[in-house]
Amino acid sequence: MANLHKFANPTLFLRLSRALLPWCVGIAVVTMAVGLYLGLFVAPPDYQQGESVRIMYVHVPAAWMALFVYTLMAVASAVSLIWRHLLADLVAKAAAPLGAGFTLIALATGSLWGKPMWGTWWVWDARLTSVLILFFLYLGHIALTHAFDDPGRGARAAAILALVGFVNVPIIKFSVDWWNTLHQPASVLKLGGPAIHPTMLWPLLLMAVAFTFYFIALLFLRVRGEIAARKLRALQLARAAR
Amino acid sequence: MKRKHRRLMFVLFALVGLGAATALVLTALEENIVFFHSPTDVAEKDLPAGRTIRVGGLVVEQSIQKQADGVTVAFQITDMAHTLPIVYTGILPDLFREGQGIVAEGELRADGVFAAREVLAKHDETYMPPEVADALKKSGHWKETDGTGAEQ
Amino acid sequence: MTGVLVLLRRELRLALRQWGDVAMVLSFFVITVVLFPFGIGPEPNILTRISPGIIWVTALLASMLSLDRLFLADYEDGSLDLLVAGPLPLMLVVLTKCAAHWLTTGLPLIAAAPLLAVLLNMDAAAFPVLIVAMALGMPTLTLLGAVGAALTLGARRGGVLLSLLLLPLYIPVLIFGVGAVDAALGELAVRPHLLFLGALFLFALVLAPWASAAALREAVA
Repeated sequence: MANLHKFANPTLFLRLSRALLPWCVGIAVVTMAVGLYLGLFVAPPDYQQGESVRIMYVHVPAAWMALFVYTLMAVASAVSLIWRHLLADLVAKAAAPLGAGFTLIALATGSLWGKPMWGTWWVWDARLTSVLILFFLYLGHIALTHAFDDPGRGARAAAILALVGFVNVPIIKFSVDWWNTLHQPASVLKLGGPAIHPTMLWPLLLMAVAFTFYFIALLFLRVRGEIAARKLRALQLARAAR
Repeated sequence: MKRKHRRLMFVLFALVGLGAATALVLTALEENIVFFHSPTDVAEKDLPAGRTIRVGGLVVEQSIQKQADGVTVAFQITDMAHTLPIVYTGILPDLFREGQGIVAEGELRADGVFAAREVLAKHDETYMPPEVADALKKSGHWKETDGTGAEQ
Repeated sequence: MTGVLVLLRRELRLALRQWGDVAMVLSFFVITVVLFPFGIGPEPNILTRISPGIIWVTALLASMLSLDRLFLADYEDGSLDLLVAGPLPLMLVVLTKCAAHWLTTGLPLIAAAPLLAVLLNMDAAAFPVLIVAMALGMPTLTLLGAVGAALTLGARRGGVLLSLLLLPLYIPVLIFGVGAVDAALGELAVRPHLLFLGALFLFALVLAPWASAAALREAVA
């Protein structure tokens, strides 16, 4: 019986997510199709980087998502620690592997882009390096979540780690930038800033929207699965107790 | 009452700590961080010979001379105030040329010539290492056009 | 205040009684540093150039490997429950334990560093900076390590997990620590590096006890 109130809250989420899921999937599919078409076939090649600039339409949204997901995890972790909200735990747990995936995509595409630009698969460029460290932070979070027999303890330990990591991300980023100026006088790619041409900006923004909704859809699915798993566990425990 | 007192102490302690940390960071940022010596530093400071140090500056026009052995190169770098002669044995980077900003690592010889073990040049055609630009600005010989690769 | 002193004396006495632990950490530091010339070659110039990096990375690993002493023994024999429930604020408990850890591992590592620097052919003029940089950096490593050690209490494969959690967080200390010694070797300004190290220490001093205390509460709950 005591377990029952725990599920009172997720029911709302289950209803809401079921209603929203098709919309998220739909938006993700449409924007990704249009964005990829515009990015790969319509947008012009860059005057300096040529065709390889098209990697940007996957790379930049993935890198944005990598940061966005970590921020989301930090917020969820704070909510989980302050209000002991079960759903926040589940969101943080479900988001971590997705964030790691986006980070990995950003790293892989960055490396693919670096091969024609720098002539090597990897340089210790400040941005690449700090994204790599972000990837390690994700891995640590995932490992800590799964390191305990009691999932609740894993979730809370991971929540503390996510907050500590969140405080550290700017410090690490700063120190890596600073370290890089010492060792690498190579030019850093500037994506044009606000001077980026609209024909390139639109597919980029569309892809960002696509990645965001793709992430939300996956997050819904994963949290639903997580809730189902917890329910199952509770039922099994109840039966074992009987 | 006592508990409240204690919590207040902790918050005060945290604020003082964070404030002091911020002050340290700001002080550190204010002091110019340099990763190499400019030719002016070499001329004015009494840098010890035989220690590995880094120097940086622009390669002086028409100062590059290949020595007779074919692998040793002598050239000069400048920050527009002073120049420093450098000798280097080995293969120079592709982008090494006159007017180029470079950083060299090696040691100062007793005769005032810098014996380089390693020479780093910029990777991009229209790019000056920001440290070189800063050093030029500091010595008061910064021309705005230099920043966009007019030295080529 | 007396509580802190009592706890500190207890920690130090325990460390002294198990002095082998301290000796092992020190031997790890020495042996690992000695491995590098075998891997890289005895060429003095190369060793000089990378000596700050070798010493810092190895000291960082040695400090991390000794972290399990921080809370694990107390967690296993149940004295951690008493400390958490006790009258001393948990943050002060964490700070005291960090101080003891620093005295028993950080300090010996700092003392050994110049000797190893001699082996690596580092210029003696950089020794004072090496010591000051380590004196500022090692406490930061201990404080961050306390968070990791508290988080992994009771975890499966805690040791490997600990390194996965901590090494990314150690990177800033490593960058500025090596930067300070490099600057000293190249006759460049050392102060900015040391100021950054000091700032990192103060950040860790404020934030790490809070996070460790929260993690310890979860561990004994």
